[in-house]
Amino acid sequence: MKILIIEDDPSLREIMSRALKQEGYVVEMATTFAEADSKVAGYSYDCILLDIMLPDGNGLQLLEHIRKLGKRENVIIISARDSLEDKVYGLENGADDYLPKPFHTAELIARVRSVLRRGRTAGELALSIGNVVLRPDSRSVQVAGEPLVLLKKEFDILLYFMQRPHHMVDKAVLAEAVWGDYADDADNFQFVYAQIKNLRRRLSQAGATIEISAVYGFGYKLAEKEE
Amino acid sequence: MHLFSRIVRNLAAVLVLSMALWAMLFYYAMVDEIRDEADDSLEHYSSMIISRVLAGRELPQIGDGSNNSYTITPVSEQYAMQHSHLTYHDENFYIPEKGEEEPARVITSIFSDKDGQYYELRVAMPTFEKNDLFESIAIWIAILYFVLLVVVLVVSAFIFYRHMRPLYEMLKWLDSYQLGCKPQPIPVQTQITEFRKLGDALQRAIDRSEQLFERQSQFIGDASHELQTPLAIIGNRIEWLMNSSSLSPEAAAELYKVNQTLGRAVRLNKTLLLLSKIDNRQFPESVDVDIVGMVKECIESYGEVYESRDISFQQNLPQRHVVHINESLASTLVSNLIRNVYIHAPEGSVARVSIDAGVLTISNQGDAALDGDHVFDRFYKASKKHTSTGLGLALVAAICRLYNMPLDYSFQQGCHIFTVEL
Repeated sequence: MKILIIEDDPSLREIMSRALKQEGYVVEMATTFAEADSKVAGYSYDCILLDIMLPDGNGLQLLEHIRKLGKRENVIIISARDSLEDKVYGLENGADDYLPKPFHTAELIARVRSVLRRGRTAGELALSIGNVVLRPDSRSVQVAGEPLVLLKKEFDILLYFMQRPHHMVDKAVLAEAVWGDYADDADNFQFVYAQIKNLRRRLSQAGATIEISAVYGFGYKLAEKEE
Repeated sequence: MHLFSRIVRNLAAVLVLSMALWAMLFYYAMVDEIRDEADDSLEHYSSMIISRVLAGRELPQIGDGSNNSYTITPVSEQYAMQHSHLTYHDENFYIPEKGEEEPARVITSIFSDKDGQYYELRVAMPTFEKNDLFESIAIWIAILYFVLLVVVLVVSAFIFYRHMRPLYEMLKWLDSYQLGCKPQPIPVQTQITEFRKLGDALQRAIDRSEQLFERQSQFIGDASHELQTPLAIIGNRIEWLMNSSSLSPEAAAELYKVNQTLGRAVRLNKTLLLLSKIDNRQFPESVDVDIVGMVKECIESYGEVYESRDISFQQNLPQRHVVHINESLASTLVSNLIRNVYIHAPEGSVARVSIDAGVLTISNQGDAALDGDHVFDRFYKASKKHTSTGLGLALVAAICRLYNMPLDYSFQQGCHIFTVEL
């Protein structure tokens, strides 16, 4: 899997490439509009991460270029301007996803994985780790082929973890993702602990081979159980 | 005080003063003129009598129709020397024909005959009643005053409202003006130079403040954009560190705190961006949103998040209340108001939410009233809660401003009450 990062900030570029390389992707980088344009024209990639604010041009133009060249690359727009117009314009012009800055590494990887999976499986969006299969569209979970019924919040939490396996998820970030904006500044995270506890119990009762483990007391990580 | 009533009041006062002064002058001039005439005729009459006395001719009869009366008294030489030979004065004179005293003009002259005998001649002529004259002048002046006042008022009202219309149009325009709302041009359809100048000056001032406002929100927007990339870098580096297994638990805990603080910075920045987007009206698409559903969902969700605070809501909501609004802004509006209650209400208290006649009211107990003038300002913080950004209510106010929904805060019977007219 080859990924092109088009980003002018060297530090952010480095972090993104490091994280993606760690996930086993082959990463190439472009820092300017011109460089990106020539790379896109000359090579083909599985996924392009496109910062739309480049020093010598607008990333949205590059998107049009890519589509004009008839390329079928997956494009994720990365933007500091969390603006609806950019998002709508980008998605209408063939971008596959839109990731506003600042983002979490886990989020970036989840989006890349999701875009690549969508490309491969053409609509079949099942997430599968260990013996657990989760289908976001139908909001159903199966453990070892048997359906597992989860409450809404439990399902949302599991979905969030399944999209980011092996990555530590900050409980505040999880709270915001599942309970909505501003839930991350709650006085305490009792409500997260309670839901995680229930989810763990349900998973182990159903005999799942995955587990959610606490990391240092400030986050969680979903991984397959070590035998 | 209304400009017109002030003008009327001053006009009336000036009229009263000038009328009173004029009445006084008129009265004295009149009295003077009458007296002058009387004196002339008295002098004439008395010299006629004196010449007749001296010539030894017959004196006129009293009561011959002239109303004049006279007395001739011999006086000593000493008396004659001590008194002026010709004096006029007013006195009440007994008129025998009428049998009553009447005000009269009296001339006293002292003369001597050829024998050196001095006589004092007093001739009296009944004149007018000063009080009567004064009264009738006063009455007529009063009538004149009121007639004049009415005429002046009618005329000046006509002139005033005719010529001041541009001013009132401008005032109406100013009343309806809201900063950052792309105003209609100022109505200045007038030939009057002063109003044209005023209108132009107003337009310039408004343009300037619009420009400043735009620049300010542009600046906030730009600054927030520029911060996004560094924030992303810091966040990702921290995440990278936390994911690496070589971290000691102490270092990890420290790092987690750094991350939490960073989270606050990110949230603050996001909120500022949102605020500047609202101010720049970047939320065009409105849909029909059921506010009741949104409120219920919010209460349920935050109820779970803030479960430890044990706050319950007494809900008085209709089945549905649909408002045409941008969905994400509606959600921001409702969630900020509800979340405020969960954060600030005393633990274990009961808050209230209702939608009645299109007015969303959210109230909770509190210790003291907040500063009503500043409660919707950016970074206004009544409590020292570290988690609050101080921007929640500013966001609510910005959204209400965008949709022209009146927003109000009050403190009644120990309760903070926020109302939004949806």
